[in-house]
Amino acid sequence: MSTSLAEGSTPVADAEHGWIRYWPMLWPPIIATIIITTVWESITVYFDIPPYFIPSPSRIFEAFWAAPGTLLWHSGITLLEAIIGCIIGSFLGALLGTGFAYSSLLARGLLPFVIAANTIPVVAIAPIIILWFGHGIESKIAVTTFLCFFPLALNMMKGLQSYDRVIMDVFHVAAASPLQRFFKMRLPSALPYIFVGIKINVSFSIIGAIVAEFVQADRGLGFVIMTTYRNLNMPRLWAALAISALIGMVFFALVSLVERMVIPWHSSMRTES
Amino acid sequence: MSISVTKLSSNGVLRGGVSFRNLSVVFPGHVNHPPVQALDHVSLEVRPREFVSLIGPSGCGKSTMLRVISDLITPTGGIALVDGEPPRKARLARDIGFVFQDAALLEWRSILDNVLLPLEIAGVPARERESRSRELIELVGLNGFEAARPRQLSGGMRQRASIARALSTRPRVLLMDEPFGAVDQITRDRLNMELVQITEKTNATVLFVTHSISEAVLLSDRVVVMSPRPGRILSVIDINLPRPRSLATRDDPHYTELIKFGAAELERGFARNEH
Ligand SMILES: Nc1ncnc2c1ncn2[C@@H]1O[C@H](COP(=O)(O)OP(=O)(O)OP(=O)(O)O)[C@@H](O)[C@H]1O
Ligand SMILES: [Mg+2]
Repeated sequence: MSTSLAEGSTPVADAEHGWIRYWPMLWPPIIATIIITTVWESITVYFDIPPYFIPSPSRIFEAFWAAPGTLLWHSGITLLEAIIGCIIGSFLGALLGTGFAYSSLLARGLLPFVIAANTIPVVAIAPIIILWFGHGIESKIAVTTFLCFFPLALNMMKGLQSYDRVIMDVFHVAAASPLQRFFKMRLPSALPYIFVGIKINVSFSIIGAIVAEFVQADRGLGFVIMTTYRNLNMPRLWAALAISALIGMVFFALVSLVERMVIPWHSSMRTES
Repeated sequence: MSISVTKLSSNGVLRGGVSFRNLSVVFPGHVNHPPVQALDHVSLEVRPREFVSLIGPSGCGKSTMLRVISDLITPTGGIALVDGEPPRKARLARDIGFVFQDAALLEWRSILDNVLLPLEIAGVPARERESRSRELIELVGLNGFEAARPRQLSGGMRQRASIARALSTRPRVLLMDEPFGAVDQITRDRLNMELVQITEKTNATVLFVTHSISEAVLLSDRVVVMSPRPGRILSVIDINLPRPRSLATRDDPHYTELIKFGAAELERGFARNEH
């Protein structure tokens, strides 16, 4: 785990290798995927498991390949709802979290409501939100926004309070303004927490969008899952599931990549080998 | 390389004098916690450019004295002054440098950017603050580590960076609260000798808190021995060893004598502590 100066000066060399430097991170999941699909495929074939019960990976891929365009179009809708809801919800949550961090009065007054609202199951609140925001994509974004609000509100508050007290004294002695304290100390200290919140929201936003589509929709992966289930077209349902999982994974990987670039200094970013 | 010219006020008087006059600090208690009298009518005059060490048992108010001068704490009685003016004024004029026991560097900034932080906060133009910080990095012997991150440095090196940062605004008063408390003895000896040279070049008045009587004698013009509950000054020892101090100072028989005397005074402080 020791990060020596020599290691610190390697990025120049890494740049020459390009993506190959990510190889140590890439090969284990790739190998795992190959093994899991092979075992899965063999078991379904060997025990002759009916495809509506557990379809084999090849059947799932066939179901996808039968109409890749429509499935991808539906996925695009869900992805759009998830991303917009994630951004709006995270932003609004971060704003309230900042308010909480700066005003204990505000935190004491509103935090109980936020925690209470956070425990409401999304399936219970989704019909109400859809009633308010209509049958279009807006209501799905609103459900996603609702779900993505809390992780950032709580993590932003915790993050902004997590600064080092001695560093605060350093800023005080240096006669820093409140704005300088925020941007040069508290916000950078909060970044690891902010990324925790965003990573939670990556999963939440896809769940929120799909659940909202379950309640009412004529498009999106949630809609596909609903209709294929009614028609017992299970391989296609599994294909939709696989796509939503894949979206979540790519989305998560992107956020992790951004995190590595933004807070390479943080201890959670140290790779232990 | 000249780091700083002696700071003179407009009428030509040396600056950096620190006064504690009947200073009292009481921390309010809470339920099951009686109020703490951290300082009880403490008076001390520190001359400009003087190096004064504060030593005494834990809880005798050494840190509290530094925190009052840096305007981190408002005294409950008496006054503290920097060149005849309230600490707040000196702080806002960026005339106070503070080195904490913990280097307290921003881990997302390079060493250079950490050292120039106070100048950045003060709104000093980028080019100027950078060249000033490079000078200081050289002064504290961190050349070559400008781009390094704090976590890549040893504890002693981080503390050097912290000293450079405290000196960046050319403070009149440098406050150091057990700056070498967490480094090993050999590093500590070396840092002590470097501190002798640094303070000679910077011309700042230094208030230095330590638990080591030998360190205090080696570095100081005067050593202030304190006792706790309530925090008071027990005695002030003049260290009339020749300057500049060096490793040879330790061979001076008077040095050993002063340490013995200081240790005995310190013992009195601890004895009072037990009652
Ligand atoms: N913020 C605070 N609130 C309440 N009590 C405090 C506070 N800061 C210090 N004290 C108390 O005031 C007394 C003096 O504290 P101070 O930190 O100045 O001692 P010190 O001489 O620096 O001790 P040490 O050698 O352990 O650093 C102690 O009894 C301490 O518990
Ligand atoms: Mg202390």
